[in-house]
Amino acid sequence: MTAEPTIRDPLEIERAEEARLRVAAGLAPLPRSGGEFAGFESVGLPDRPPQTDREQEVYTLDEGEMLVNMGPQHPSTHGVMRLVLKVRGEIVVDIDPVLGYLHRGIEKLCENATYTTVMTYVDPMDYLSAMHNEHAPAIAFEKLYGVKAPRRAEYIRALVVELNRVFSHGLMMGFLALDMGGLTPILYGFINRDEVVDLLSAISGQRMLFNFFRVGGVNFDANDEFFSRLGTWRAGVLKTIEMNERILTDNEIFRGRTIGMGVLSGKEAISLGVSGPNLRASGVPFDVRKAHPYSIYPELEFEVITQSGGDVYARYMQRVAELKQSIHLIDQIVDKMPHGPVQAQVPGIIRPKPGRAYAAVESPRGLYSVYAISDGGPNPYRFRMRDPSFISLQAIPKLMPGRLIADTMAVMASFDPVMGGVDK
Amino acid sequence: MRLLLDRFPELAPSLWTDDDTVEVSVEGDGNVAVLWRLRDDPELNFWFLADAAAVDFGVGERFEVVYHLYSDRHPAWLRVRARVDRSDPHLPTITGLWEGAMFHEREMYDMMGIVFDGNRDLRRIYMSPDYRSFPQRKDFLLPDDAADSSAAGVNPLERPETWDLSGGSEGLSRGAVARAEGKA
Repeated sequence: MTAEPTIRDPLEIERAEEARLRVAAGLAPLPRSGGEFAGFESVGLPDRPPQTDREQEVYTLDEGEMLVNMGPQHPSTHGVMRLVLKVRGEIVVDIDPVLGYLHRGIEKLCENATYTTVMTYVDPMDYLSAMHNEHAPAIAFEKLYGVKAPRRAEYIRALVVELNRVFSHGLMMGFLALDMGGLTPILYGFINRDEVVDLLSAISGQRMLFNFFRVGGVNFDANDEFFSRLGTWRAGVLKTIEMNERILTDNEIFRGRTIGMGVLSGKEAISLGVSGPNLRASGVPFDVRKAHPYSIYPELEFEVITQSGGDVYARYMQRVAELKQSIHLIDQIVDKMPHGPVQAQVPGIIRPKPGRAYAAVESPRGLYSVYAISDGGPNPYRFRMRDPSFISLQAIPKLMPGRLIADTMAVMASFDPVMGGVDK
Repeated sequence: MRLLLDRFPELAPSLWTDDDTVEVSVEGDGNVAVLWRLRDDPELNFWFLADAAAVDFGVGERFEVVYHLYSDRHPAWLRVRARVDRSDPHLPTITGLWEGAMFHEREMYDMMGIVFDGNRDLRRIYMSPDYRSFPQRKDFLLPDDAADSSAAGVNPLERPETWDLSGGSEGLSRGAVARAEGKA
């Protein structure tokens, strides 16, 4: 815009402001001509013809509707993602998620990396569950190469992924409250996370992007100091979680805003490919740890937890229940931890025989899987990752029409997407 | 597995197994019929689409779209590989069976350039709308020389040069037009 600055009549400005407010409240139609309207611009309509039916549907405005961008820098989009909201007043009519702001082409990078260095590339995908990100490729590559990790390594793997799940679910409780205006739970969530992350850095040497798993084992053994710190953490962790629960679970406002909000039925959830806690909160007992056991999970005792509600509150309660279950699993793992080596004899650069392998693990956000193809060379010919939050994101445009803009964030937070994983 | 062979005798030659996966192959446009029967057959009941991904086997070879399915009745993952002609990559959509295949298919279209007929939202999902290459193809070269990639601009859905830009648009689209003119 290169408009000449002019002095404007205050009365005119007032009238224009009133008209703008009426539009924003849905009482007046949107100006169709575009351009300047007392500082309000009808932005968001793309400057090219729509490519698909669906795009045409979203970007065609009826009387009284307007497009609002939520993001890409919106604090409650959990990363950089843009939601184009079509709204009528404050009611959401339609949503178009626009992805790709964090796309790094990790699959292509991995296809140009050796099997060992792939572990460093998958870490920053879903950065709140980096251990799970490494677990699936490790299993897939071990299948390809025909090597098995020693038993102690499998136990250490299970221990660190469950620790990871604890802090991821703990943070979700906080983020959900934060997106609805409650600041305190996220602080408890981060206290809990920092304690777990200190533990994980004691064993792996890194705080966030661990680079801990290897083909045929793990990078470091767990020593006595680690176990003594784990014991200290274990003694206090339930207290932090219960403090969080006391703030949220029976809170009148929290319940009022979450019960019955964003109800996803089990059938819809299956059709949409939603997995993990979000699917179980809709009453479908699908957990990869039970459905297709890997690592040492067949040796541990646990039940698949489900909820019946399918709403935001059910997804929250599901996380709380799984968090406690994970702590229970950690107790069992520490109890049964065998002695022995933690790394099989595997060369630094491996060349598996031509073949293909699929491996899936249960990450805090659902089914995370890897499909790897080897052509006999030192790097994977094809390396495919299925990230659960990428697929779960499709539920949001289904759930929001007819709801308020403010509830969009609550529903999004309840699915707990991580954009590093969504955009790969 | 025997049940699978009973129901699908025509897939027997392509059957392959390892310790936790059963694999069958279909010709490209057979994917919907096979997946439909796998999902709705009460004894097979593969109700969960775990993954859908595309694999490029290089210039002169083929694409493959690989579906992974899960069923509570069977201990193994089921992998269905659908062959796609590389010179004319078209495949029927499965969004009618699983709505959630939408993002999978959009990603495959974006990264590999496979067109899913019948998908009503086949747009790019990661790259910007005026991007013209398919980065995960094996003949896609590194970014410095992406313009020389033979995978550039083969899709009929995307011809920025045909867009009406007389309204004085700015930014991305103009860049695309400049590139298109530069190539011509």
